[in-house]
Amino acid sequence: MKNAPLLKIEDLRTYFYSRSKQAFIRSVDGVNLEIRRGETLGVVGESGSGKSITALSVLGLISGGPGVIAGKILFGSNGEQKDLLDGLEGYVKIGREQNRIMQVSKDVLGWERRSDEVMRTIRGGEIAMIFQNPKASLNPFTPVGKQITEAIRLHTKITDAQEAAERAIYWLKRVKIDSPALRFDNYPFGLSGGMCQRAMIAMALACEPALLIADEPTTGLDATIQSKIVDLLAELKSELGTTTMLISHDISVISRLSDSVVVMYGGTVVEYGPVRDILTASISSKHPYTSALLASIPGEEHVRDKVALQAIEGDVLDTINIPAGCRFYARCNRVTPKIRENCERREPDLREIAPGHRARCWLYFD
Amino acid sequence: MPKTILEVIDLKKHFFHRKGLFSAFSGEERRIPAVDGVSFYLKENETVGLVGESGCGKTTIGRTVLRLAAPTSGRILFDDKDITTATTEQLRKLRGQMQMIFQDLDAALNPKMRIRDILREAITVHHKVSDEEVSRRIGELLEQVNLKKGKLSNFPHELSGGEKRRVGIARVLSVGPRLIVADEPTSALDVSIQAQVVNLLRDLQSQLGLSYLFISHDLRVVELISHKVAVMYLGKIVEMGLSGRIAHAPKHPYTHILWSSLVEKQSKESSSATRNTQSGIWGVFDFERPYSGCRFAPRCPVYESQGRPTVCTDPASEPQLRDIGDGHQVACHFPL
Amino acid sequence: MKNYSQRSGEIGDFSDIPFWKKADAADLVYVSYGLLIVTLVVVSYLLGAFHLLPHDPHDIRLDLMMSPPGTAGHLLGTDFMGRDIFSRLIVGIQAYFLPGLLAVAISLIGGSTLGVLAGYRGGMADTAITYFTNLVDSFPRLVLILLVVAAFKPDIYYIMIVVGLTNVPVVASLVKGKILFLKQKNFVEAAVSLGLPARTIILKHILWYNCRSLLIIQATLGMGEAILMETSLSYLGFGVQEPSPSWGNMVQAGANYFMQGKFWPSTAPALAILFTIMGFHLLGDGLNNLLEGKRGR
Repeated sequence: MKNAPLLKIEDLRTYFYSRSKQAFIRSVDGVNLEIRRGETLGVVGESGSGKSITALSVLGLISGGPGVIAGKILFGSNGEQKDLLDGLEGYVKIGREQNRIMQVSKDVLGWERRSDEVMRTIRGGEIAMIFQNPKASLNPFTPVGKQITEAIRLHTKITDAQEAAERAIYWLKRVKIDSPALRFDNYPFGLSGGMCQRAMIAMALACEPALLIADEPTTGLDATIQSKIVDLLAELKSELGTTTMLISHDISVISRLSDSVVVMYGGTVVEYGPVRDILTASISSKHPYTSALLASIPGEEHVRDKVALQAIEGDVLDTINIPAGCRFYARCNRVTPKIRENCERREPDLREIAPGHRARCWLYFD
Repeated sequence: MPKTILEVIDLKKHFFHRKGLFSAFSGEERRIPAVDGVSFYLKENETVGLVGESGCGKTTIGRTVLRLAAPTSGRILFDDKDITTATTEQLRKLRGQMQMIFQDLDAALNPKMRIRDILREAITVHHKVSDEEVSRRIGELLEQVNLKKGKLSNFPHELSGGEKRRVGIARVLSVGPRLIVADEPTSALDVSIQAQVVNLLRDLQSQLGLSYLFISHDLRVVELISHKVAVMYLGKIVEMGLSGRIAHAPKHPYTHILWSSLVEKQSKESSSATRNTQSGIWGVFDFERPYSGCRFAPRCPVYESQGRPTVCTDPASEPQLRDIGDGHQVACHFPL
Repeated sequence: MKNYSQRSGEIGDFSDIPFWKKADAADLVYVSYGLLIVTLVVVSYLLGAFHLLPHDPHDIRLDLMMSPPGTAGHLLGTDFMGRDIFSRLIVGIQAYFLPGLLAVAISLIGGSTLGVLAGYRGGMADTAITYFTNLVDSFPRLVLILLVVAAFKPDIYYIMIVVGLTNVPVVASLVKGKILFLKQKNFVEAAVSLGLPARTIILKHILWYNCRSLLIIQATLGMGEAILMETSLSYLGFGVQEPSPSWGNMVQAGANYFMQGKFWPSTAPALAILFTIMGFHLLGDGLNNLLEGKRGR
């Protein structure tokens, strides 16, 4: 059990429903990934790639139907491994036509009741989450210190109010909020965005979670504040070693903080491996989407030579209209005549192309 | 020597907020100097980038320059003509030459109108043209912004983010402007789409000889697209010069921190320049905090390392922009 | 158990389906019923206006006083003076049709003017208009109408002007809300920066494209309210006066005989009022759900 990953997601599917198009929005459409103990997994992707929905699915926080409909989320802490979606299959019935999901019937109330039963002990305590918009995620009518204190009393063994408050101040200090004893009594509106994010981080970590999910922790903050938050996360990572799932569209943040990286596109994982293989190695060894994405970001050389950026043509995949073949085929610039037919007709699976490095691309399959 | 198309002289725009429940009677107001004495100029076929953190007044400058908001004081010259006090009707005519790309993708697109009608309206605002001319012009615009003809009969909500941005740009181009204020044109877009739009804006500039006032918080994009960059802090320009100089040889400590935060996010260890500013003051940034003298002093690493010289906080000697060669201007008592 | 199913469309074929295909069945029933009532009212109004009636509504037949429905060609019977109730019902529409339209017109025109002023201009205009609408809102409508009736004369047009004016605040606040919503999305500013004249922005972009469904809904609801006002005032004797028929004074006149078991002279107009007002309100509700979208979907 020691070597088992802390979190393992198998073929997760989370769908939503568009009334106006009478079609499924396949936000998460067969995601496989795993997070080993103590590592930071970076999840990169554009909007609509399903990265946030994957995180929310793990926490059972999906509202709106049909929601999570299939897959396994294996979470192993306290020495036992359990499926967070265990016993939920019974509430969902899936109708397929030619291998495509065409119909879903779901007992939403029953599903939610069962999910809450499983998640109650896990949410907040075992898995904590930092959200994108810190000001909106904190309760505006309660001082931040009190919010952290309550979280500590709810999720840890500390139940004494005085002790919990001291613990909260310790954490505020830990995330580098100056004069934490004074900030303890501040309401969220009295704090700047960066300060609120620090308070959110303190609250998440104060519960000593086994897994921390950070969803776009730097987005929406100013450049100078962003780098401070990244510094803080890096420091906390080296000191505490909390297992973290870091979601961001900002590749620089991911490459600084992660050990492994998952690249998502159109609701699925297209590439998965150690950060140095994916975000820094030579272009030829990567999925065409990853390499095109890296090339489209303005770097030193573009600025120096004032050359045009290498844009990815076309548009982000519409997750209602998922094609039969490779999801990136329409925008891919590395299709060769040899594999064209495969790319167009059959979706590649996520296969190992080098030790520990998996990609979903026909280029690497013989 | 290219002509100056836009000149801004000591522009100020202050907002007033009522304070408290009975302020309507007591007349007590809070003054927010969003733009506090800004001067710069923009030459034809040139791009000036405006960078700064959120709330520093960049967008307000863009809106005031186009007279979408009335300035509190100062002068705005467009083509050497003073438009500070132009009437509504005069301004309406001027809009045929100066336009704005809004940050919000949906801003310019009436949700109930088809793309064709949106473009038709824009084409016919300033010129009376025949139907044939309109369709010819629409075709030309679509080609310029690289948009498929099939999208013309769609409604805005049926388009993707990138397509909406292209329609927005086509709409702006349709009046035939010479000056475009681009307010965060890429920030609402996905990474892979941003590059398309940046390339498009650059191509259009070389094809049509446009001048851009490019407002963004994305330093890399600004550096790439701009000839000159102005760095703003709390309503003032603290440094201005050629984009390469600003990015690689900054003189103002704030500019230095701004650009090194970009590099630092990637590199595994933080650079020494920002290390010594890791104290708690770093989240503080707003107009309400009283300052005297240099407004950056409370966050300034140089101020600390110089042993807090009094000249920095002397209200009588707020640093002004001064030229240090090659049109590079900096407002600091102790430039790096 | 909730069911979700996907249209079997080809890839690339998932365009929006029209709103009536995805609408709630209830809303469609509401709207069709409402449209039926509106058509009936308009047709009956025209019939009344051109005197295409089965009987003369003013023809007093003392020999046929209080005859029950069906007697001698009188579909709904006759009233205490032997006048044909069916014909009087049709003519009764004259009592509220044009005055009702006047009330609706006043509330829509006044409401959108004030709403545009408050929302588009903002500042002092907004403050002044807010105070004005609050003032109007805080005045009991019936008291205002009675004041007007006492000061001038019990004329239905005067009453309807008051009804229209008291509806102005509702429309004004809705229009203002819509404009503030559009402004928040920089929509108005973008139109200004393109160089569109204010007239075009207000009339075309704001009122025509973005407020038309809202105004149609308010018109149907306003009409229902006007009918209710007219009939209740006529019932009380302040509105349309005998011998001109109005559904309100017909109910009043017939009510005296209700206890004697002669229910038809009051029941027929009462039911007409019920179904008509219900029609207008359901039409407004249904349209609201169809055009503006239901909340919490």
